[in-house]
Amino acid sequence: MAVAVVVPTARRRRHGKGWVFHLVMSAITLLWVTPLVFVAIVALRSFDDISFHGLGSLPHSFTLDAFGTAWNEGNIAGALGNSLIVTAAVVILVLFLASLAAFALSRYPIPYGRAILLVMLAGNLLPPQILLIPVSQICEMLGIYDTLFALIVVQVGFGLGFFTFVLYGFMRSLPVEMFEAAKIDGAGDLRIYATIVMPLCRPALAALAALESTWVFNDLLWALTVLRTDTKFPITAALLNLQGGYTSQWNVVAAGSLIVAIPTAIVFFAFQKHFVSGLLVGVSK
Amino acid sequence: MSIPTPSRVNLTRRGLFAAGAVVGGSALLSGCLGSGNTPATGGSNANVSLTLQSSLSDPKPKAALEQVVKGYTKYPTTLNTVAIEQFRAQLSTYLTSANPPDVLTWYAGSVARDYASKGLLLDLSDMWSGDGACAKFSPALKSLSSDSSGKQIFVPTNYYWWSVFYRKSAFAEWGVKAPTTWDEFMALCETLKGKGISPLTNGTGSTAWMASGWFDYLDLRINGAAFHRELLAGKHSFDSAEVRKVMDTYATLIPYFDPKGRSYTWQEAATPLVNKKAAMYLIGAFVTTAFPAADVDDVDFFSVPPINPSVPSAEEAPTDGYFASASTKNVGAVKDLLGYLASAKEQQAYIEASGSSNLPTSPDVNSSGFSPLVQKGMKLLQDTKEITQFFNRDSSDALQATADAALTKFLDHPGDVATILKDWQAAAQKVWGS
Repeated sequence: MAVAVVVPTARRRRHGKGWVFHLVMSAITLLWVTPLVFVAIVALRSFDDISFHGLGSLPHSFTLDAFGTAWNEGNIAGALGNSLIVTAAVVILVLFLASLAAFALSRYPIPYGRAILLVMLAGNLLPPQILLIPVSQICEMLGIYDTLFALIVVQVGFGLGFFTFVLYGFMRSLPVEMFEAAKIDGAGDLRIYATIVMPLCRPALAALAALESTWVFNDLLWALTVLRTDTKFPITAALLNLQGGYTSQWNVVAAGSLIVAIPTAIVFFAFQKHFVSGLLVGVSK
Repeated sequence: MSIPTPSRVNLTRRGLFAAGAVVGGSALLSGCLGSGNTPATGGSNANVSLTLQSSLSDPKPKAALEQVVKGYTKYPTTLNTVAIEQFRAQLSTYLTSANPPDVLTWYAGSVARDYASKGLLLDLSDMWSGDGACAKFSPALKSLSSDSSGKQIFVPTNYYWWSVFYRKSAFAEWGVKAPTTWDEFMALCETLKGKGISPLTNGTGSTAWMASGWFDYLDLRINGAAFHRELLAGKHSFDSAEVRKVMDTYATLIPYFDPKGRSYTWQEAATPLVNKKAAMYLIGAFVTTAFPAADVDDVDFFSVPPINPSVPSAEEAPTDGYFASASTKNVGAVKDLLGYLASAKEQQAYIEASGSSNLPTSPDVNSSGFSPLVQKGMKLLQDTKEITQFFNRDSSDALQATADAALTKFLDHPGDVATILKDWQAAAQKVWGS
């Protein structure tokens, strides 16, 4: 987001101080990229090289073995599958439920509508850490502890408040006249929702889908809270498992991290535009 | 067997998922929170299957345990491996849950005793008597595996030793040899320092507990194992003349440590030892896993030399193994699995495959195939009079945190020892009081 803000300013001053901008941004970019380059280098080294020369030294070896080890021993493939199931289910459910809620709250005089909205938002302001034990206990009571279903329910629950709030703001900005026209033409509530509101919300939905999919995909905390079987772990928890209690094969951990970063990177590049607009949804009202 | 198992597991998983979805869905719809457990319990009773929750996420030990569990065919057993820090944090959740894992890996001693006192662990006393799987284990292991009321609640399967590790070729290069007395040890440190080598390495950065290694050993050598145990149990003060003496000796070592060690993890601190920039490392035998494969045979060790001749010899040997949940539904099957894991044959298979220099607890293991280093370690522990584990295992993780704070502060400011010990005692008091 910093980039999005800086670029326009820089463009305006292109003729005067362009080189200052490039100098400063090159330095910042380098700083930003360094950890990634470091991880990539570690992933390409052998374990013996790391234990002999140290983690921070220049590479003395080149091998792709770590990627194979991470893939085979870390159950990365299975974990990726779990992550994709959870992410897809959560994104679809959360957007569907949140858009319904936002539609109702923004277009109908619901008693205590504003209070409902504020309560939903307030839930998001609580640090999730204080809810870990209650959530795990409740899942236990419901008998869904240690299932992907529990993870999906929890993620949907926690996403719902924020997404309803954002979509509420967006739907409020849609002109009232359109709804009146639709009603005069005889469209019912569901028809209005499906054929007018949803298409109009597409930019907001796309942005939120992009955001939510990276959030859910990168989540570790909830996965650790409701799951305990390693074959059900999503990718983040599987990555944590690559780290040993005594010895950590840093090259394998680094290689695993790179593999795991690929899906998020794809989502980011595919929805790049939406990310920036997603972060700005509701700002430019 | 290997083919049916995965498909069975898949079925269970899918079944559980579906059951969960049904239960969760109906509960959500009706708003009813109470009756969720029935289908899940019914499902696991119909077919006896066991869950083994393991914290062994290091690649080789993990693979070794997977292989051992695969060899167990009597009851279908699912092995779950969870990274150790997460396992540590969630252990009490595992044990208190309505449908807990049946068998769990963990530590013998005060940690297991703690859980036993809350009634969370299965009584395994019959495995320790008659012709039970653990009946022939040493009395020291038996007392380590007993709770405060004398029941056995733990099955130890392997342990390792702590010592000062060094590279034989490095010592030969520098023309020095392993010391046998404390004066020789200090002289050796001085000689090595004169050659521009860091005599000692230690990784006390994010693995601050490593600082307790030297504390434990100096206390064992100066005040003895009995005092050490009582100190960790709260019967002596950290702010006492005895502990002060330990810290004064510790202070004489500080100039010999590789100064970068304060920012290293234990594993990073092994690198100077590997490439001969540092000479000695007081650490557990797991250090061999941080060596390049080709250099492992070059590793040797000597025990921390005696300081006070009037205290009996003592070594640290952290003991690992298994305990079982008190609310397991298949007590017979659990004991059968534990007996299998504790058997000499499986201990040997595990140790050979894990490559981590661990020692077997069963006296019937044929150790002739083990490396000379491991055999030397076994002899060290056989000959010593007293065995302790390690600071956290002899006390608690909470007390370990107070030690980490005090000892890292001490390493940075050895001059402040008086206030550090006073603060340490105050912090420890809170742990014991709670």
